[in-house]
Amino acid sequence: MSAPPGLPPPDELLKKAEEYLKELEKGPWPSHVAEMRKTGYPLRVYGVGLVARKSPWGPSVVKTKRLTGVLARVARDWVPGGGEEVHFRVFHTPGKFLPTDYLRKIIQISREYGVGLIEAVGQTGAMVINVKGKDVADKMIDALREAGTDVGGSGDAIRELNACVGPALCEFALFDTLKWFVEFRKDKRVHDAIAVPGFPYKFKIKISGCPMDCARANRGDLGFIGVWKGAPEVDQELLRKKIEAGEVDPQKLVANCPSGAISWDPEKKELKIDGARCKKSMHCIRAAFPAIKAGKERRVAVLVGGGSKGRYGPKLGWFVGYLKPDEVQKAVDLVFKVIEPWDKEAMAKVRIGDYILMEGLYRFIEKAGIDLENTPKIVEKLPDNVPYRVLPEEERKKFAEFAEKIRQAVRV
Amino acid sequence: MSIQLSYPTDIEKFLPDVIKRNYGKWKERKFHGNGIIEHISETGERVFTIKVALPPNARVSADTLEKFADLADKYGVGTLRITIAGNVEFITDSLEKALKIKEEVEKMGFPVGGWNGALWGINTCTAFLTCQIGVVDAPSIGKALGDALKPYFTGEVPLPAKLRIFISGCPAGCAGGTAIDIAIVGMWGAPPKIREEVLPMCLPPPKALAKVPESQVFLVQVCPTGALTLRRQDGQVKLTLVGERCINCARCKENCDAFDYDPKDVGVAILVGGRMANSGSGPRLARNLVPWLPANPPMYEEIVAVVKRVVEVWREHAKPGERLGDFIDRIGWTKFLDLVGVPRPTAEYMWVPDIARTYLTYRARGEQIFKGFRDAI
Repeated sequence: MSAPPGLPPPDELLKKAEEYLKELEKGPWPSHVAEMRKTGYPLRVYGVGLVARKSPWGPSVVKTKRLTGVLARVARDWVPGGGEEVHFRVFHTPGKFLPTDYLRKIIQISREYGVGLIEAVGQTGAMVINVKGKDVADKMIDALREAGTDVGGSGDAIRELNACVGPALCEFALFDTLKWFVEFRKDKRVHDAIAVPGFPYKFKIKISGCPMDCARANRGDLGFIGVWKGAPEVDQELLRKKIEAGEVDPQKLVANCPSGAISWDPEKKELKIDGARCKKSMHCIRAAFPAIKAGKERRVAVLVGGGSKGRYGPKLGWFVGYLKPDEVQKAVDLVFKVIEPWDKEAMAKVRIGDYILMEGLYRFIEKAGIDLENTPKIVEKLPDNVPYRVLPEEERKKFAEFAEKIRQAVRV
Repeated sequence: MSIQLSYPTDIEKFLPDVIKRNYGKWKERKFHGNGIIEHISETGERVFTIKVALPPNARVSADTLEKFADLADKYGVGTLRITIAGNVEFITDSLEKALKIKEEVEKMGFPVGGWNGALWGINTCTAFLTCQIGVVDAPSIGKALGDALKPYFTGEVPLPAKLRIFISGCPAGCAGGTAIDIAIVGMWGAPPKIREEVLPMCLPPPKALAKVPESQVFLVQVCPTGALTLRRQDGQVKLTLVGERCINCARCKENCDAFDYDPKDVGVAILVGGRMANSGSGPRLARNLVPWLPANPPMYEEIVAVVKRVVEVWREHAKPGERLGDFIDRIGWTKFLDLVGVPRPTAEYMWVPDIARTYLTYRARGEQIFKGFRDAI
């Protein structure tokens, strides 16, 4: 970007930048500027960007042994003194648990090869570590590999996967999201698609344990969300105990159910949930767990085509069917089934959701060969939609016989 | 080329022992003030998690992380957990230790809070920290908003339900898109200006360009509304931009550095009422409440004022447990506009049904709206 009009001369610009940065260090909320002061990040460039009200960074490249996950920037020519910025997208651990010994290794690497600045989590789910310079980039990758992680997942590849914490810390998880997460990573094809970019645009896979969707699977190109079929299970005995203890108010459960599926019998002291109407909002389960639990018949809903960036703007995913909680391999295969028509036909920089909008959901399902439980299907056009057609002699004879029969029956 | 990534594929290695023992056996949770949760297992074991807000964009220095690691070793079970929402969770095994961690962390200047009826965190994209396309600086807006909304995070002022804020520097929506209670998105405000001197870098080489039909050039294809066209005249190639078709989606900027803007046009749009969870009326994208607001660094008073007003209206009028989207559904969009005090004339074209799910969410300012879209609604 070119210099904005009316930019003050360098001395004044830097002075004003410092003022802005100081302003951002005040206040009760933790400050990113105060954190970056403790590191080697070129804060001056950031400050100049704030004053100019324009991003101070321009494109740059860095050559490393990785094709994805490596990003470099150089300061624009109007930034006094210039500067450069290189950062790596580093894979997070399953569930984003950081044992302190592992964390200390990362901190040590960040100090040795980086500027000491870490973005704990990005919106993709990866950790971002700033690198000191282009010359130590490969050394940092080696050090990270030794610590047990790696660099990757940017550009037009499968990005870092994201799963909610699942059964590790949450009682609502309906399937083992962390197991799914590592099974996806272990798969050779997924691994290769993460390491080498080659699709029309990015592809994100997100795994949520329940309809509350903490991993934001609704927004991923391919999302998996744990659900169940029918009504939630109610343990009447335990529920009565909870009501007596004042933990649960049955009237509130009934009133707050968004689909109106709950009814309460005050005489029998029984709560009934209509499975056909339940829309899995998790409201009653959250309010009265474990007296009300998700049903036994568990499924994993598959959604395709979400995303906030892309040709046609922000979208939520489309439901394309259910998997069973143990069908991880089928889910991994599904990734490549879904990618195939998009990869073959879509233009560059078109997300899979945009491709589905162009193609139509049913045609996409047909092309990708998705055939899961409850996959939406095209209903074939009924013949009476087109009322006229040429009939062969025999057919006409059949209808003539039919008319004759009717005529005799009703005695015209 | 063969690249062997060595990313973590071993769950056991990273889980603390107490969680390994109770994996999938959790049955209850109890809240101890804002930010501290007690997880109770079938086996009778208890784990406490303490949710701590990180600075905007989750940017932390190695020094701070080391202090966190020391705390986790001293009072916790030796493990931290980062949440996708940019908070950090300490894990420990008793309430006393949890309160001790809370005290220590607050001494370091990091607030503890979230859960239930509270602000759960503010997510921002990187914007001017690294990004080349962002038009407003999301982290500093996040900092300004955090300063103003901290009482809602720590629970000093309770809110009716969960509130989360995403701040993206441009319509690419890298802070998590618009499917959230309050989304703040950087806007160009006016059609981009083309820097002719950089443009050839984004076009095919002249010899190849002479043979390619105009509509097949990548830069022309990238525009979703057909505002960018390539014209040939006397052997000269010129990229023209039809201003009134531009919807400020920033896709051209994402793919080519030749598109530039004037800082005086730049602002933010504020979208409200989206969500990811299936609670209430289900997942949906947010609606455009204010299409353009000035973004003045470093304190962004205008944006903070509008967001605070929206939160106050919701806090005052909503029923307990009602998220912003559900509240707006109940009282009606126009009533909500009146309560916030948004001028009606601009509100006419803001109501876009979720089913559209297209770039229609974003619009240019004032008279720059593509006429076809306005007529369609």
